[in-house]
Amino acid sequence: MQLQYFLLLAAALFCIGIYGLVTSRNAIRVLMSIELMLNAVNLNLMSFSNYLDRESIRGQVFTVFVITIAAAEAAVGLAIVLSIYRNRDTVDMEQFNLLKW
Amino acid sequence: MAQFLAQSFWLVPIYPLIGVSFSLLWSPGMIRRTGPRPAGYVNLLMTFFSLLHGLIAFPAVWQQPANYIEIPWLQVAGLDLTLSLEISALTVGATTLITGLNFLAQIYAIGYLEMDWGWSRFFSLLALFEAGMCALVICNSLFFSYILLEILTLGTYLLIGFWLNQSLVVTGARDAFLTKRVGDLFLLMGVLALYPLAGTWNFNELAAWAATAEVSPTVMTLIGLALIAGPMGKCAQFPLHLWLDEAMEGPIPSTILRNSVVVAVGAWVLVKLEPVLALSSVLLNVIIAVGAATAIGGTLISIAQIDVKRSLSYLVSAYMGLIFIAVGTQQLEAALLLILTHAVSQGLLIMGTGSIILNNITQDLTQLGGLWGRRPISGLSYLVGLAGLIALPPLGGFWALLKLADGVWVSHPWVVAILLLVNTLAAFSTVREFGLIFAGSPKQMTVRSPENFWLITLPMTVLVGVNLHLPLILQSLSLLPSWATLNKDMALLLFWSSVAGCSIGAIVYVGQSIPKPIQLPWKKIQEFFAYDLYTPNLYRSSIVFSIDWLSRLTDWFDRYIVDGVVNLVGVAFLVGGETLKYGNSGQGQFYVLTIALGLAAMTIWMSWSFITHLF
Repeated sequence: MQLQYFLLLAAALFCIGIYGLVTSRNAIRVLMSIELMLNAVNLNLMSFSNYLDRESIRGQVFTVFVITIAAAEAAVGLAIVLSIYRNRDTVDMEQFNLLKW
Repeated sequence: MAQFLAQSFWLVPIYPLIGVSFSLLWSPGMIRRTGPRPAGYVNLLMTFFSLLHGLIAFPAVWQQPANYIEIPWLQVAGLDLTLSLEISALTVGATTLITGLNFLAQIYAIGYLEMDWGWSRFFSLLALFEAGMCALVICNSLFFSYILLEILTLGTYLLIGFWLNQSLVVTGARDAFLTKRVGDLFLLMGVLALYPLAGTWNFNELAAWAATAEVSPTVMTLIGLALIAGPMGKCAQFPLHLWLDEAMEGPIPSTILRNSVVVAVGAWVLVKLEPVLALSSVLLNVIIAVGAATAIGGTLISIAQIDVKRSLSYLVSAYMGLIFIAVGTQQLEAALLLILTHAVSQGLLIMGTGSIILNNITQDLTQLGGLWGRRPISGLSYLVGLAGLIALPPLGGFWALLKLADGVWVSHPWVVAILLLVNTLAAFSTVREFGLIFAGSPKQMTVRSPENFWLITLPMTVLVGVNLHLPLILQSLSLLPSWATLNKDMALLLFWSSVAGCSIGAIVYVGQSIPKPIQLPWKKIQEFFAYDLYTPNLYRSSIVFSIDWLSRLTDWFDRYIVDGVVNLVGVAFLVGGETLKYGNSGQGQFYVLTIALGLAAMTIWMSWSFITHLF
């Protein structure tokens, strides 16, 4: 197994995440796509630490931090979605285009 | 005393300038209670001073060499503008003529403008004219002559526009200013082009330069054409003559001055420039042609006029044409003599007709008639002016025309034929006007016509005296040919041409056997001359039309093309802003997409060299 395959898989996952981030109409699915992207990053960090930094495995430490930050971010994101939902009774992203030109 | 006055002759143009500033004090806005009359009196006094100055100084300069005064005006790098004044018998004599005629015209104006409140403006402008003309004749530099000609052009504009609430006055003043201005601007071109060639604007130095100059004839012809354009406009020569006709809208006292002397200042400059003009023979022929065309055309138009003043104004153009012919044939003495005799006779003719107009109201020759019995003084004045103008011995005009005819007989014999023709036509025209005003039976407008009061009559009779004594004055200055050298054939020819013109005019207009108004069998020709060869239409369809359309076109170009290009820049930015703001769609996901695309593009750009090496 080579490092490139892990990186390519992570990149594919990141792109899927971006695709979901840009196209989803449901705000929750947008948050889920962000999680996909963060996990793609985590995959990257893990494979780099495995293949290039076996002794001190700093990538794994980074990954732990990213997971915790991601959890916090998802919580805050859900809170934002909930507060929008309370006001506007919808989580459709296309209804949130109020702040335009 | 006389010597001192001759030394301080430069004061002569200053007196009327003092009059200008004083008479403005009595304008209706300044002195509101006591009326404008002192303005006239102050000016009369100042003119009297200049006249007296000239008269006393004349003996001191007579038959003395010319005295020059140099006044430095401006010295800038490489250009020395020195005002040079010439104090000689000729210039002192000319200022005496100017101030004398102005003195008489001002007395006349005090009578004529009795019922007018605008004395302050009128007299200050007359005095400005006087100052300008005196300065012009004693000034010995082409550059300063040009400056003074322009000041006189402005003075003409203001003086014709005296009664500015009349629409014809406004258009007449406009035409007078623009026509003379065009001539003056061409003159400026000539003046400027002459400097690199001659290196001086002093008339004496120009003459000295011209005596030995070797210039390309083409260059000299072009410069000369520009130099004569100024006098052409000033002297109301074809085709720049319409302004003098329209200038007849101004008050008569100013007309006296303008027709007798102001138009002659152009001729004066022309005479002074003669040595330079003589460098090109083509140019001399052009001057003769212009003068001849104006002289013949002017007299013919004058015969066809029904307006008293306009009939005389075309004669002014015609006589200025004769002066042009004299300059073109290099008869300078004849030209100066013609200026003198024409000034006193023409001034008298206008005074006589003005005296009629003042209390018969109409200027229409067909409405006047039968005044001889009741207006003897005006009638006699007119007759003396008539006799002094045409070649009728022994009065002044005869000697001037004789000198001219005598001088050109050898070099340009055909010019004599033109002179005889013009003389006959001028005699016919003036006698026609006399017949229509004074002969026949009174018409409705002239049933009750008293002779005028002394302020009108006095200057008129004084000028009659000057006219009658002019031959004696000329003789005492030894300006007349002696009996031995007199060309008797020429004198007889001129005499008979005058007699012919006068007698035909008298038979047709003074005698009552031919019914008036006279209709020529060819109505087209009669109207052609009555409407001044349709010159207004000619101007309007050529120069005015093209300038008008050109200015409309440039205005349109300025408004829509130049302005439009600049406005287009602004509009483009406005439209750009208005359009690009839709990039802020308000969709959070769209912003994310933009960021992602931007990052991707930047990544590709930064790693472009690696990507190309990859394959």
